[in-house]
Amino acid sequence: MFLKTLSVVKIKNVLLVTVPDDPSDKMVYELQEQVLRSLEKHRSTGVILDISLVNVMDSFFARTIAETTQMVSLMSGMTVVAGMQPNVAITATELGLTLGTAFSALDVDQAFEILNKALS
Amino acid sequence: MLVDKLTAQGATGLSITSESDIVACRKVIRDLTTQLGFGMTDVTRIVTSVSELARNVYVHAKVGEMRWNSMRSPGKIGIEIIFEDKGPGIADINQALEPGFSTAKSMGMGLPGVKKLMDELEIVSVDGKGTLVKVKKWAKVK
Ligand SMILES: Nc1ncnc2c1ncn2[C@@H]1O[C@H](COP(=O)(O)OP(=O)(O)O)[C@@H](O)[C@H]1O
Ligand SMILES: [Mg+2]
Repeated sequence: MFLKTLSVVKIKNVLLVTVPDDPSDKMVYELQEQVLRSLEKHRSTGVILDISLVNVMDSFFARTIAETTQMVSLMSGMTVVAGMQPNVAITATELGLTLGTAFSALDVDQAFEILNKALS
Repeated sequence: MLVDKLTAQGATGLSITSESDIVACRKVIRDLTTQLGFGMTDVTRIVTSVSELARNVYVHAKVGEMRWNSMRSPGKIGIEIIFEDKGPGIADINQALEPGFSTAKSMGMGLPGVKKLMDELEIVSVDGKGTLVKVKKWAKVK
């Protein structure tokens, strides 16, 4: 799949954000901004960050996701990070990174299930 | 921006002057280590380290460069990557290697993380003159 920019799609009360494989720092900042703006605009209650294409996650990316999750939670939303690749998960753990209070799901389907249960 | 003209395997250096060069550094090293025959998890470890070190050059020193050498002998492959800048230098290298230490109010996980992800990490820094960080990774191949 060739995705060069962020994709943010509203599905009912959920924002589905798909991140490209090798996001620049600029794009990671944009992710935070776009999520918060769309959350306010659509009054969404759940955010899914689909990172299944992402093949590198360093401390800057992890911190921005953790921060975004916290901000979403201040706006009374819930964040699920979906589809982290196994190699990325191994490396992030070795590096000592966490995603803060974000929930995690194997894929987007499971993320929707988690949100539906939590928000219903 | 490539320092040397990019040929099929000829490039050995990349200058780091803007944020987008961090992505360029990751891409070059991803392609190279994949071609060399590193496994997917090692490629991810190496590319993640490159991301941390290239960002350190950009954030802490503004400009610098990345150079690399690859090694292949029967049964073994290796890569050496060097980041060099003429920035402020690191006053206390042991302190910089402690998880959580940062002079930029960021996570302070870069250098300690790279130490775990790579086989060798060497830091040479002259306070006020610049920093050189060299990392190496080896793998056995059939
Ligand atoms: N290239 C560099 N030039 C000057 N200082 C550096 C450089 N790389 C790292 N440092 C110093 O080492 C500290 C720790 O680096 P790191 O572990 O990557 O954490 P962070 O980048 O989040 O601050 C930095 O805060 C900085 O003071
Ligand atoms: Mg750093």
